[in-house]
Amino acid sequence: MKKKSSEKLNNFDFQFFAIVMSLLIFGLIMVFSASSASAHHFQKNALYFIERQGIYAVIGIIGMLYISKVDYKKIQAMTPMLLTISLVLVILVLIPGIGKVINGARRWLGVGSLTIQPSEIVKYTLPLFLAHCLSLRKEPISTVKEFIPFLALVGVFAGLILLEPHMSGAIVVAFVGMIVLIIGGTKLIYFVVPFMAALPIGIALIVSSPYRLKRITTFMNPEADMLGDGYQIVQSLYAIGSGGFFGLGLGQSRQKFLYIPEPHNDFIFSIICEELGFIGAVFVILLFALLIKRGLYIAINAPDRFSCLAVSGIILLIAFQVIINILVVTSSIPVTGMPLPFFSYGGSALVFTLLGMGFILNVSRNLKDSKSGKSI
Amino acid sequence: MEKNTQKPTLKTKKYISSIFIIIVALFVGISIRIGYLQFVRGYELSTKAAAQQTKDKVISSKRGIIYDRNKNILALSASVDTVTCTPSEIKKEKLDEICRELSLILEMDEKDLREKLTQNSSYVIIKQKITPEQSEKIRNLHYNGIYLTEDAKRYYPYGSFASHIIGFVGTDNQGLNGVEMVYDKYLKGVPGRVITAKDSTGSDMPYQYEKYINAENGLNVVLTIDETIQHYAEKHLEDAIKQYDVRNGAVCIIMDAKTGEILAMATKPDYDLNSPFTLNDPKMIELVNSLTGEERNKALSDARNKMWRNKAVVDTYEPGSTYKTFVAAAALEENVVKVDDQFDCNGYMKVANYRISCHKTSGHGHLTFAQGVKSSCNPVFMQIGANLGKTKFMRYHRLFGFTDTTGFDLPGEAEGVFYTTNSFNTTELATSSFGQGFQVTPLQMIAAMTAITNDGIIVKPRIVKELIDDNGTVVRAFEKEEVRRAISKDTAKTVRELLETVVSEGTAKNAYIKGYRVAGKTGTSEKFPRNMGLYVASFLGFAPANDPEIIGLVMLDEPAGAHMGGQIAAPTFQKIFDDTLRYLNIDPQYTESEENEIEITIPNVVEKNVKEAEEILASMQLKCKTVGLNNSEDVVILKQIPTGGTVVPAGSTVMLYTSESADEAVMIPSVVGKSISEANSILANAGLNMKISGKSSTETDNNSYIGAQNPPAGEIAAPGTVVTVDILNSDVH
Repeated sequence: MKKKSSEKLNNFDFQFFAIVMSLLIFGLIMVFSASSASAHHFQKNALYFIERQGIYAVIGIIGMLYISKVDYKKIQAMTPMLLTISLVLVILVLIPGIGKVINGARRWLGVGSLTIQPSEIVKYTLPLFLAHCLSLRKEPISTVKEFIPFLALVGVFAGLILLEPHMSGAIVVAFVGMIVLIIGGTKLIYFVVPFMAALPIGIALIVSSPYRLKRITTFMNPEADMLGDGYQIVQSLYAIGSGGFFGLGLGQSRQKFLYIPEPHNDFIFSIICEELGFIGAVFVILLFALLIKRGLYIAINAPDRFSCLAVSGIILLIAFQVIINILVVTSSIPVTGMPLPFFSYGGSALVFTLLGMGFILNVSRNLKDSKSGKSI
Repeated sequence: MEKNTQKPTLKTKKYISSIFIIIVALFVGISIRIGYLQFVRGYELSTKAAAQQTKDKVISSKRGIIYDRNKNILALSASVDTVTCTPSEIKKEKLDEICRELSLILEMDEKDLREKLTQNSSYVIIKQKITPEQSEKIRNLHYNGIYLTEDAKRYYPYGSFASHIIGFVGTDNQGLNGVEMVYDKYLKGVPGRVITAKDSTGSDMPYQYEKYINAENGLNVVLTIDETIQHYAEKHLEDAIKQYDVRNGAVCIIMDAKTGEILAMATKPDYDLNSPFTLNDPKMIELVNSLTGEERNKALSDARNKMWRNKAVVDTYEPGSTYKTFVAAAALEENVVKVDDQFDCNGYMKVANYRISCHKTSGHGHLTFAQGVKSSCNPVFMQIGANLGKTKFMRYHRLFGFTDTTGFDLPGEAEGVFYTTNSFNTTELATSSFGQGFQVTPLQMIAAMTAITNDGIIVKPRIVKELIDDNGTVVRAFEKEEVRRAISKDTAKTVRELLETVVSEGTAKNAYIKGYRVAGKTGTSEKFPRNMGLYVASFLGFAPANDPEIIGLVMLDEPAGAHMGGQIAAPTFQKIFDDTLRYLNIDPQYTESEENEIEITIPNVVEKNVKEAEEILASMQLKCKTVGLNNSEDVVILKQIPTGGTVVPAGSTVMLYTSESADEAVMIPSVVGKSISEANSILANAGLNMKISGKSSTETDNNSYIGAQNPPAGEIAAPGTVVTVDILNSDVH
């Protein structure tokens, strides 16, 4: 046993860990830089956000290292229970009096400043559970009858999150569910039908809700709505455009001075572009690309079907959020509140992201054909 | 467990690989999008960002002073404050208080104020040009969002003085007329700015930059105008307008004959520079007030433009006989006439079937060219014009600068109007020879005259001498500019001599100034439509004739009564030149007969020492003789004869006594029957002074002799005593 555990330690994926830590530290620096001005103005404490984010980062790192050590098969066994807990939380958050309302959306659970978003949990528990289910099957889903329960499961979670309302959260959950099913071998044609069904629903949702519709019209011409919804995106574009090739320098953002609302949140990438320029932005994208490349490599070489699908799901969850976030802040798609993993301020998102990374590190120890793996 | 450990299938691996490729493609796309925003739209976006991130406060620059040539201030700016506000920075809870306080201080309506203070704009002007007391009160209130910005108000200490030269400024201190307009870019300076970074609420960003760009004060303009001479010109012009009932304005230009510097340029009517938009002609005010709406606005604007018009530069007129100066110069230069050439004037001349008459319809008879100039005989000039020919006539018209602007520094200079080569025929040539039928500006006339005074070379007229900074350092000096040679040195000298005789013996005797050799030419032109009794009377001249220092032009437009240039323009010119020449300390050159005619009041020099007394008397063209035991320079004078206050002819001797006892007696000689100069020398030799009594000295000539004297001959008197003599004329005799 002792020998085995030291072997496992030797199998620790330092490469993946280094990429994760780079993103985390870079993220913390940017949260500090982006938040200091508004923290100074609103919280009267320039360190307000970085202090909290730092604490969550420490919690997340401990959790990540812990998860990387336990037997992932135990985690697999726990997935039904984890999903059940998630379901309870997602339902709980909808109940008035329990779910905390911030900015008109009931998305948070918890007391005081210690809050979590159940949707953040679902983002990880759902792909894990789906991976588990798919790994139990010998053959991929090949009939509609088999597919419908999976679709329903994803639909229930996405639907519950949409009720908060939390459109972007629902989209992410739906995406991550779908992608696990697809990689799991489900015929692509099965997704066309639900998509066709979802499309009119989506359009109806957008048209029925003035604030969503306005996001679309604002997207078309943000500067025409400068004093309204266009403000945020225009300010984001100003920040990106001010950066140029090398940026204004770390800490030198001007747009963070109350021009971009909550610059440490969804629009933190604009501040990166402004302070560190094109170089900095591409560097961040490259770091994510490396993370994804390494993550998918781990998935491909995973010891079993569960770990392969689970790692793919978690990595693609990160990839999806990164892509949507940057598309939003560059005004390439309409605004939707998508955080940038590792960068955007938010305790529960950071902790769960790191836990997810812990899971990948765990799987990485057990790679079947890695150099270290051969020695097993 | 077996099931659980099944490996990922090849299909799964393929899926994952293709998804990775899609992700990479999307990342590349995203990077391109970022690059597009940063490089293609970077300038636009960063400019807009900078615009919202910075506050830009303007520090106005001080407008330069306009000086006359002796640094007397003609226009200056005093600093006044303007109240502005940035509504977004005003605290809502303070709005009521601010409205109340400001309305009290600024005497503004509270409602209007509230509107301004809540406007959706980042910069609102509340009130411009407030008093220093108001600024002080507002400054002491220290309200957020209310600003005082320094602004400048333009003052013209002399009101309407030299209004057409100086010009005025608009509400934003931009020059709208005159030197204020033409030299605006130098006068206005460069406004400074304070650029501060601000957050979206308008507060200064902490640890961000502040950039301060100093305002650069405008340069001060030193005019060539001499305030004193300008004053003479304006005063005498005004008198002439009243005296001769001049209906359509008047112009007087005085120019330094050697450098082209304009010393005075008076244009009437003028206007008050401190309220340039206020009409001052009662008739115009009445006209404008009788109209309403659009018509009124048009009439008001027309009336203002008329009031602001600088006739001397902008308007053209027919020069009349003053132009004969240049015809004479051209003809002499081309050798088509000599001073002694003989002509005949029958009072008219037939030119191409037209009978063109001389101003003296009875005719001047047989006369030389010189006499023709002196008497301004039209037939003489028609003949020399014809001899000169059309081509040469036009060439000299151009050479003297009448077909182009002079390049003068005041706005709106006119070019003059002349015939085209085809329309310039024999008749036109004939009338042009005495200055009728074409138009020139007063400024062109004065510029052309520099050819005569400057030995043939035309000098460009200038109004600005130099630009100086606040320390008085000359930043830019405007030098004399020679335009071209129009005639030879000899011709110029001949014309000067001819023009001097016009004043001393000819049509311009009214321009004669004792002690100065004045030369010039009168002009009277009939305005269009002809035969309506509308004339322009003018005089163009210079002095001293042998070495001209100043040139002057007086032009009176539409005098209602007497209209001959020699009658009304020449005397006006004479008064202005008399004052100006003396002011400029140009040494008088008296002829002997003039000296006798000049009367000087002897100053009291008793109790001064000899040296001082000699200096005082010498400066007043008096001789002196010191009598006494001790005549050294510092001895005090005890007595003088004649005593202070006695009026004597110039050149008389004053006896200065340094001791009471040194009384010398002189027996008065008889001078009755002698000529004036003989009498003068006899009396002077005896140590006595002579004074011609009563009669106007201008009536004396070579035929005059002394009729009586007082005290009579044989009487004993103190040296220096004044002998008064009566003059008789031989004609009467």
